[in-house]
Amino acid sequence: MDVIKKRRSIRKYKKENVSKNLLLQLIEAAIWAPSGSNVQPWYFIIVDDANTIEQVNVFSPGLLGKPPSVILICSDRKKAFETAGTLGRDELCVMDISMAAQNIMLLAEEIGLSTCPVKSFNKRAISTILNLPDYVSADLIISVGYSDEMTSTPKRRSVKEVTFFNTWGGRI
Amino acid sequence: MDEKEIIKLFAYMVTSARGCVDEPKIYGPFRLVDSISKLYGILEKNNLIGNEEVSKIIEKIEEKKYSCMTDEKEFVTMLDNVIDDFVALLNFNKK
Repeated sequence: MDVIKKRRSIRKYKKENVSKNLLLQLIEAAIWAPSGSNVQPWYFIIVDDANTIEQVNVFSPGLLGKPPSVILICSDRKKAFETAGTLGRDELCVMDISMAAQNIMLLAEEIGLSTCPVKSFNKRAISTILNLPDYVSADLIISVGYSDEMTSTPKRRSVKEVTFFNTWGGRI
Repeated sequence: MDEKEIIKLFAYMVTSARGCVDEPKIYGPFRLVDSISKLYGILEKNNLIGNEEVSKIIEKIEEKKYSCMTDEKEFVTMLDNVIDDFVALLNFNKK
């Protein structure tokens, strides 16, 4: 629970690079996420080359704070459709990569790295820059690095406010 | 100055414009002030701007720009203050 509560979205990074070994550990965490119909539609492009990060950065307004590395999480929508139909392609894929992303961010927190999930990027441009095949969807970027900012704790809606028992509106 | 830096900024701004079609409304103002920060960075790096007052205004933007995601009121207050700063800087407050 501590790691879950400590994680923050970081938008300012130190220049220090993240080792390939640590980045690969994050992917190891990602691939153990649950997956609808066990499709595991995900692919992960680790970008740790400064020139390529700069190219990605230009077309990713949500990628903030100059991270030394990013992970693009993609999904193979063709494979998802073949195995799980439109539900797999249109909904399960998004859930699968989201759960993989959370695994990445929580392990990162545990091993002293910081992250930020980024959806504000231009899919067309990023797909071209990173040479994605047309059946692969660029779904989410996660910036990865060492934090260089002090963060505050954003307010959370309480458990009581968001939880019902047995039926909508059911309270203890 | 490396012309490519400016072209990258143009690309960033048009990408932001495209994103703003679908994104939360508050991201629009954020992208605009973030573009100012980026433009200032390019000008400063190339010794094309050296105004201390402008530098202070940019610092003010940098300090508070991310509040758009956590405290919209604080973000809007920052924008209002920065506008006041520019009015004063441009010496338009002659009342």
